[in-house]
Parts: sequence; C-alpha cells; structure tokens
Amino acid sequence: MTRSRSAGVGLIGPASVLILAGFLAPTVIMAMLSLRDYSGMHGIGTDWTLSNYIDVLGDWFYMEIVLRTLALGLVVTVLCLVVGFPLALFILRVGPRMQTVAILLVIFPLLCNIVVRSFGWMVLLSPRGVINDALLNIGLISEPLDLMYNLTGVIIGLVQIYLPFMVLLLVPALQNIPADVEAAALTLRSSRARVFFTITVPLASPGIITGSILVFVLSISALVTPRMLGGPTYRVMATQIYDEFMTNLNWPSGAALAFVLTFIALALIWAANRVAAHLTRGISA
Amino acid sequence: MIARKPSWLLSLVAIAILVYMNAPTIVVVLASFSDTSYLTVPPQGWTLHWFEYVLGDSRYMRAIWTSLWLASGATFLSLILGTAASYALHHCLVPFRDLILSAVMAPLVFPAVVIGVALLQYVSLLGLRGQPFVLLLAHTLITLPYVVRSAMSSLTGINPQIEEAANVLGASGFTAFRLVTLPLLKPGLVAGAIFSFVTSLDNVPVTIFLLTPRQSTLPVKIFASVEHGVDPSIAAASTLLVAGTAVALILAQKWVSFSRFF
Repeated sequence: MTRSRSAGVGLIGPASVLILAGFLAPTVIMAMLSLRDYSGMHGIGTDWTLSNYIDVLGDWFYMEIVLRTLALGLVVTVLCLVVGFPLALFILRVGPRMQTVAILLVIFPLLCNIVVRSFGWMVLLSPRGVINDALLNIGLISEPLDLMYNLTGVIIGLVQIYLPFMVLLLVPALQNIPADVEAAALTLRSSRARVFFTITVPLASPGIITGSILVFVLSISALVTPRMLGGPTYRVMATQIYDEFMTNLNWPSGAALAFVLTFIALALIWAANRVAAHLTRGISA
Repeated sequence: MIARKPSWLLSLVAIAILVYMNAPTIVVVLASFSDTSYLTVPPQGWTLHWFEYVLGDSRYMRAIWTSLWLASGATFLSLILGTAASYALHHCLVPFRDLILSAVMAPLVFPAVVIGVALLQYVSLLGLRGQPFVLLLAHTLITLPYVVRSAMSSLTGINPQIEEAANVLGASGFTAFRLVTLPLLKPGLVAGAIFSFVTSLDNVPVTIFLLTPRQSTLPVKIFASVEHGVDPSIAAASTLLVAGTAVALILAQKWVSFSRFF
C-alpha cells in the first residue's frame, strides 16, 4: 500500500505542481489584487477595499456591460438550440455515408481557429463584403446593410462558432431516446409535433441543458469574436477585462470584473450539473 | 429515437446550416488566392503571391514557428503529465482524488480570458513576462484537461485484470503499463493529443496576455493584423492555419474513428 501511495504521488506530482503554481496561485493572487484600491494618479494601492466589486455591480457603465454580455449569451444559446436541433435530427436520420460527411462538416469548423472564422465573417459581413455585394448586385438593397461592428455581427459569428458543440451534444442525447417510447405515443395517436414536444424534447433534456450551458458560458467568455465583429466600441465583459488590463492598466478593476464573470460561469455550470443529474435520475427511475 | 428518413425540408434546412457553419472558412481560403490587393470573393485571378508574402515575411515566420513549437511542446508535456496523473487518479493511488481531478479540469471551465489575466499579473509579479517557458507551461495548463479527459475515459474501458496478469507473469509495474495498458490507451491518447495540439495552436485569449510586443503566435498575429485593416495576406496566413488543422484532422481519422467524438 505504501509503495503504491508513493508511486501515486510520483505520478500525480508534476501535474499537481503545474496546477498549483500555474493556476491556483495566480487565481488567489488575482483575488487579492481585485481587493486593492486603485487611483489613476498612484496606480495600485496597498489598502484593502471592496470598491472594485461595488463599481462593477453598482456603476451603470459596468452594469450595462454585464447585462449586455448575459443577454448576448442568452440569444446565442437559444439560436444555437433552434438551429442545432434540425441539424442533429438530420444527422440521426440520414444514411451512414452522408452521416459521416455531415459530422465531418460539423467538426471541421470546430477545429478551425476562432480568429480565422471571425475573420471569415468580417469578409462576409463588412459593408463592401461578400453578402452586401451580392445583395447590391441583384438589386435587393440599394445601401449596404450594417451587418458588422454591431450586435448582429457578433450574434452571427458566435452562433456559428459555438453551434458545433450544441450539435455534438444534441446528437447523442437524441440517439439515446428509446424508439419504443415515441412509437408507443404515435400508436396512441399523438401527433408528430406532440410527440416531439412532450416526449422527445423532455427525454433529451439532459443533453439540451448541457449543450445550452456550455454554449452560454463560452459565449459570455468570448473575447476574440466580439472584438473582431463588434469592433473596439462594442463592449462585453471579456473585451472590457482585456481593456482594463491592457489599455486602462486598471488591474484591480479588471480583476474584479474577471471574478464576476468566473462566478457567473461556475455558478451556472454547477446549477446545470445539479439539474442534469436530477433529470437523469428521473428518466432512469 | 425512431429511425426515419429525413424529409426533403429537413435535408434542405440541414444543408443550409452546414453551409452557414463552413462559409467563413471557405471564404477565407478562397480570398487568399485572389490576385488583387484587396479582399474579394470569388477571387479575381488566381495567385500564390500572398502565400509567398506570408512565408517570406520574417514576423509571420517567427509567429508560425512559435505556434508550432508551442503546440508540439505543450501537447508532449500534457501527454506525459496527463497520462501519469490519469493513471494515478483512475487507480485511486492518491488521496483527495476528486479534488485533484476537479483542479486539473478547472482550466476547462474557467473563462479563458480570466486565466489569461490571472497569468499576466502573476507572471509580471514574478518578473517572468515574455519567457518562452512561461508560454509553454501556460499552454500545457490549458491542454492538460483534454488529455486527462480522454485518458480517464479510455482507462475506464480497460480491464484492470490484464495488467495484474502481466504483473503475475513477472512484469514490473512500469513494464506492464508500457506493454499492456499503454497500447490499449493509444486511441484515447491520440484523440487527446489532437485536441490538445489544436487547442494550443488556436489559443488567443490566454496567449495574448503573455506575449511581449516583439513576440507573437500565428492566431495572435492575425488577430492583431485585422485591427490595422484587412488584406489577402491575412487570408493567406489564415489558410495556412486551416491547412494545419485539416492535416491534424486527417491524421486523427486514420487513428481513431469519429465516433470517439461523441
């Protein structure tokens, strides 16, 4: 026993040191930083204060950023669900060869760089971009549409970027539903739509919840896409954290904002795990 | 789920969604071949000029090399640290198993930008900003969860009695692991390695905080270039990154079937 214990410590040691020194220590030190006072004149002070958090939660400038980020996350999540469901159904229903192609086409963008994909959207959405050019050419519009450097652009980009996660979680969730249950309901003369909403969706709910939380958390943490497609003046929490650290050099304020974001993300993941575990128990019982 | 052929409406919608999902990448690749000084799709005239430009530009080349050694190094370190840790965690050789496992997986649930700024202030405090090994360790930290997740799930599928049998037959602990368990783990580790390589290659939100103005990785360089206006050279650099990813994906398919992704 003692031999395997020491072997265990030897095996886990290097990874633990990396996590302790490279992740936990920086997080604790940033927590302390978020409690330091800051003034534009003197920089980071030595007094302890809660003012950075009070600012984030009380100042309308920051509150608007927090609310905008959460609203953006919600819209992106709902759209990913609405767009992801038909694609997941299609993947489950087509023949094996087409299924492989479809799965490849879902995984390929997932593995393509987010910067590259956001840049692709800039090429497509800009005022002189591919979409506006095409619409102008066929005469559907006379003025270029504002598709970029605003909420529209950020939503189009984020949905595309996080959709693969949703689809890859919806497919197994739908696949695991026993065909008998739906067949039974159809035999009992339920309409297809009714079967879908009262049987398929509830039984797939653990996957739906996991996918939605994942997409939501990733969307509210996104830095690259909102910066590239929203432009420098479109602020969400991640871009504001970036600006506080890199431009304004107000690190305590940035640290406080970072912890608010982390708290929201972790709380959601925790809650979703609880709900999903509860639902899974309910289904298997 | 009842097996049923997709209706034509569903097929049409699904194809439209697949086009939407792949459109930005396709557009970037097409634009990189355009014989114009501005971005245009479909390309007008075909040229490799922009690739020549990128591959001849010393800043782009430095960024590409940084990206490649960082991704290879981080994947290598993650494979070693992650496999060792997973083995110990799976066989319950360590105390506080669940706590350690959550700590190892934490970088996956923490917002990347938060990890980035936490490391920025920590590394500045220690006076280590810009050191290559800092970048390597940071990338190892964010790729480790992928290796651990695949290794743990592969270990679950391995019958522990096989390794015990090897022990009984006289193989020492490490020999038994190397000759028996490791080959069984290989598909899982390959999947973990591919994910970790791609994750490192793609990362911006952590990397961008740790670079000095003279350093860059390819995605950070592209991200920074876009702020100064766009031209086909950015598309060419992006295409190189896409090509690298495609190669990784093809290699992955050779070793592991895509069913592993589910």
